[in-house]
Amino acid sequence: MTAIEVAGLGYTHPGSDQPALADLDVSIPAGRVTLVTGRLGAGCSTLLEILAGVAPRLTGGTLTGTVRVLGVDPSTREGGRTLVGRVVMLLPTPSSQLSGMTSTVRDEVAFGPANLGWDRQRIARVVDGELDRLGIAGLADRDPATLSGGELQRVILAGCLAMEPEVLLLDEPAAELDPPMAERLYALLPELTATTVVLATTDVDRASPHVQEVVVLDGGGVVAAGSPSEALGQEAVVGLDAGSTVARIVYEAGGRGRLPIDVAGVREWIAS
Amino acid sequence: MTLRLLALVPLAVGINLAMGQIVSLLALPVYLDTVGTVLVAALAGPWAALATGLVSQLILGLFVNSVLLAFLLVQLLVAVYAGVMCCHFRVFRSAPRAGGSGLVLGILAASASWPISLLVFGGVTSPGVTLVTAVLGGLGLPLRWAVYVASLATDIVDKTATFLVVYAVLSALPGRLAGRFPAAARARGVAG
Amino acid sequence: MIRHVEGTGILHRIHPLTAFGLAVSISTSVFVAPPPLGPVAVLAGTVILAVVSRLPSALGRTVVVSVPFWGFLLLIHGLLRHDPGRAVVIGSRVSTVILVFAAVVTAVQPARLVDALAALRAPFSVGYVFSATLLVVPRLRDRARAISEAQQCRGLRVAGSPLGRIRAVVPLTVPLVLSALSEVDERAVALATRGVGGRAVRTVLHPPNAGGLDVAMGILGVGILVGSFFWRVG
Repeated sequence: MTAIEVAGLGYTHPGSDQPALADLDVSIPAGRVTLVTGRLGAGCSTLLEILAGVAPRLTGGTLTGTVRVLGVDPSTREGGRTLVGRVVMLLPTPSSQLSGMTSTVRDEVAFGPANLGWDRQRIARVVDGELDRLGIAGLADRDPATLSGGELQRVILAGCLAMEPEVLLLDEPAAELDPPMAERLYALLPELTATTVVLATTDVDRASPHVQEVVVLDGGGVVAAGSPSEALGQEAVVGLDAGSTVARIVYEAGGRGRLPIDVAGVREWIAS
Repeated sequence: MTLRLLALVPLAVGINLAMGQIVSLLALPVYLDTVGTVLVAALAGPWAALATGLVSQLILGLFVNSVLLAFLLVQLLVAVYAGVMCCHFRVFRSAPRAGGSGLVLGILAASASWPISLLVFGGVTSPGVTLVTAVLGGLGLPLRWAVYVASLATDIVDKTATFLVVYAVLSALPGRLAGRFPAAARARGVAG
Repeated sequence: MIRHVEGTGILHRIHPLTAFGLAVSISTSVFVAPPPLGPVAVLAGTVILAVVSRLPSALGRTVVVSVPFWGFLLLIHGLLRHDPGRAVVIGSRVSTVILVFAAVVTAVQPARLVDALAALRAPFSVGYVFSATLLVVPRLRDRARAISEAQQCRGLRVAGSPLGRIRAVVPLTVPLVLSALSEVDERAVALATRGVGGRAVRTVLHPPNAGGLDVAMGILGVGILVGSFFWRVG
């Protein structure tokens, strides 16, 4: 089943004459973790903003083509309203996502559910669950303004998950996290079986073992799509200098054809 | 209030209150504490500027010095003036136009705040202005004129400088950023 | 900026809006009460309130702000105009207002005020703009300082001739404004994706309670105002 359907999508940022996305076709399956990656400026963040309904309604710019998230067009007012709380996005910098309206971590995690009008018991249950899942129950009574970047990002993520979204979009979520914490964050994603997860990051090596689908963008269009080994193992992707480090090394060492993207893949590749 | 406006106002208030750091570092006899308000007027129009001026003065009045609460209406006047100037008269098209509008605002602001300074505070407001007032009073000027002249001098310099600074900042804004604020083009007289 | 201090005094325990109501009432009373004794009496009462509420930082701050104010008042009205009584009246009024608001702002945690407003169905924008401003102001101030240091490292001169210092304003202001404006988009997006702007009525997590102490403080506030009025008229 498809959660997100994009056809012929084009988008230009306001004040810019070069389109950020051009004639993009992408299909994102429900309930799975999809990695969207590419070089810097390939349009991954822009795509996520469009799926979240914030571009062009909030940021301006012009959109062409069709976008359907959970069957709804997020770029219309009605569509945006319908998707509130059902499509949630996590941004790279935690400090600009802090609401400022709460004095404890627990309340900050509850911010999203409170905006959705849930009753207090339901909120308390969900918040406790997410605090445990993210391993931040110990921070529950701390003032969010005193947390480190990594702690805060986990709090914001807990807040996003607490809304029980059907679609979770993550834009470089580990930008301010150290490697072990980034690893833990990516490892968490496949466990969210009830949610369609779309992860945009250039941290391919660390993220790809945890995702089930990959879409590679370049110049505003799709260059490769499929399972991680299918998409990231293509020579075209390696040539973009945006993908698996292992594949690139093998390619530069002379390997051709479908390239391995991790150590296990290399062993198989050597054996064959 | 749209979400962008909601996000803009606190940051504009932050600019207002952060200018004090710059001004005291440079030891200049101005406040520039309405740069954020005037900038918002140019970027997002008079209503956003009004909200910025209101919140600025409330935050200052509650968290810094309650005396400032008495000058709330003056701040709203500044915001409305800046909004009207930007949107209807396109004053940020050139430095002389911007500076001239700032000068006029300085006169208006001083004329509006002077009675409050005199009647409510006996002519005592911020140290700089009050020092000038005291000197003028010592030289024999009746208090009401001393307060008015001191206010005029300070506000004319401050508001002219504010409008010039906002003009310079608007000119320095990269196209992509300015593009996200449709009112900016109008204010700069570039389009629309 | 005044920071909230934890405590258990009266002003900490009452409903945030009762506290602000009391501040407004006292601030009005000090102007209504007849000079010369009225304002002094209200000031004295406010000092007692601050002491009883255990708010030494509010008292300290008031003294610090009031001293130059009183100094100028006595200079202008005492010395130059030979009317020290007026200096005392104005000084008492100003110190009262500063003290009572400093006391309330120190005692009332911003999040509690936001909850109180939300419980009264105030629009989300009011609570958000208030809270976000408190969050953003210290950060932008720090950023202004950091930009000053960075620009000085790049050769910007901040001391010396007046013309040079004036010219330094723009290279210090532009980066500050740019960083503030770029954060606007991020903040707006974060709000949208965390459920703001939907049709649902926002749940208030901790609606503040009003109790007996609130009734007492309400009566006190009204009493002070009415008393001042009758004192003036009588």
